[in-house]
Amino acid sequence: MFGSQAKPKAEEGRNTMSQAGPVTETSSEAPGGAPAARRAKTLEAKEVNLFYGGFHAVENVNMTIEPNKVTALIGSSGCGKTTFLRSLNRMHELTPGATVRGDIELDGEDIYAAGVDPVAVRRLVGMVFQQPNPFPTMSIYDNVAAGLNFNSGKVSKSERDAIVERSLRGAHLWGEVKDRLDRPGSSLSGGQQQRLCIARATAVSPEVLLMDEPCSALDPVATLAIEELIGELKKEFTIAIVTHNMQQAARASDTTAFFNLEESGKPGRLIEIGPTERIFTKPTQKATEDYVSGRFG
Amino acid sequence: MAGIRVEYQEELKALEASALGGLDLVSAALGRTLEAIEHQDIELAQIVVADDDRIDGRYLEVHQALITLLATQSPVATDLRLIAAMLHVLKNIERMGDQCVNICKVIPMSGHEPPADEEMVKLILTMGSHTKALISQSKRAFEERNIEMARDLVDRDDVVDELNRDCFRLALAIGDDADKREWAMTMLLTARAIERIADNAVDIGEQVAFVVTGLFREFEDASHPDQHG
Repeated sequence: MFGSQAKPKAEEGRNTMSQAGPVTETSSEAPGGAPAARRAKTLEAKEVNLFYGGFHAVENVNMTIEPNKVTALIGSSGCGKTTFLRSLNRMHELTPGATVRGDIELDGEDIYAAGVDPVAVRRLVGMVFQQPNPFPTMSIYDNVAAGLNFNSGKVSKSERDAIVERSLRGAHLWGEVKDRLDRPGSSLSGGQQQRLCIARATAVSPEVLLMDEPCSALDPVATLAIEELIGELKKEFTIAIVTHNMQQAARASDTTAFFNLEESGKPGRLIEIGPTERIFTKPTQKATEDYVSGRFG
Repeated sequence: MAGIRVEYQEELKALEASALGGLDLVSAALGRTLEAIEHQDIELAQIVVADDDRIDGRYLEVHQALITLLATQSPVATDLRLIAAMLHVLKNIERMGDQCVNICKVIPMSGHEPPADEEMVKLILTMGSHTKALISQSKRAFEERNIEMARDLVDRDDVVDELNRDCFRLALAIGDDADKREWAMTMLLTARAIERIADNAVDIGEQVAFVVTGLFREFEDASHPDQHG
């Protein structure tokens, strides 16, 4: 599925081109009026070890990022959570000297298997970054459509229009930009730019969305808007989010994974993972308790 | 790592000491209440009634400080469980104080004459001293986060419940004299109030278990007496 012959996701079942509208829309075929939530794919890390040259950055992580849930990765700086996140869509290897050991499987398929195209992986496992990074000179429309152009070549104008609208609606941005789609992406506020980046990431119909501190550059109102959006997006996607904001992890995630390192220079490890509600009320590990209670720096 | 959130941790500790200090106030109030029963001391009873403001004041003061901590410090995990438990315990303490007041309000109704039945007064005083012991045990169990000690409160409370039933049996057998019967009725109210104070001490024990384990479970469920454990 990751090979060059991989079918563009936009042509598969749920995202037919005629189906404009928000990605969270209720499907008419859904039995009993249940939400059209589809099952996104599961990401599973098995014995994952990550290195920067000779430096062992992340040691032996085993965890499952469950479909249609938000998994928050928390831990102090340098604990390896962002490194781990970047390994989930093969971005880690873009750093010179960086290597990966172990398996990362998307619904059972190893994304690091020989012959797998990393670009195809990154289309299925999208990333939203800390700093909103729209293409500054591109229009809002082209920003959203950018991935479509790169990924699937032949998308008709009307199909593209539909995907752009659906993605912008899904990112809670359509109402604010529908009359100025030709304006540059940089004309938007920080919070709008981040939602634009989320629209761009969802336009290519990924399975998983990775978010690396997506709100740390945003004000509280924009932050809450993104958190609410994350809650909507999980109906369609599997989401993993790195955050330094413990309240954000508590508010916005279903599962929380706590990473820690024994001391500087040692590799980061996954200390505890569990339902967010439990991690914040009754963690089982003392290190988790100390971190979520703010007893660590 | 030391040095982080020290003030918050210290404030939490101080609030716990202050909340549990409310149990000392209740214990003192109960001691005076028993003395007032024993000696028919109406003035002492009035002091207990007036002094309940201190217990209520403690409740309000610590409650407000805990709400402020919740709002400003976003406590989680053990801290959160401790605060939730303290809010509960404060209410128990306030209720225990009110039961002392209830007793002290009926003492004048029982009249200035010597008590009609020495044995019943003795039973009530015994109940009272057992209950005082339960109060201090609940405080210690909370301070030490000691589930065993908290659980033991149930057995000790059984003794108080049995004494309460003895009072009831004595009252039934008190005879036909109207004054005696009226006196016995007020003593039954008193016994019942003491029994409730002991129940509140058991509730505090349940909060100890919650702080430690994160699970709230009644030690004994009065509506499903077979399922307790």
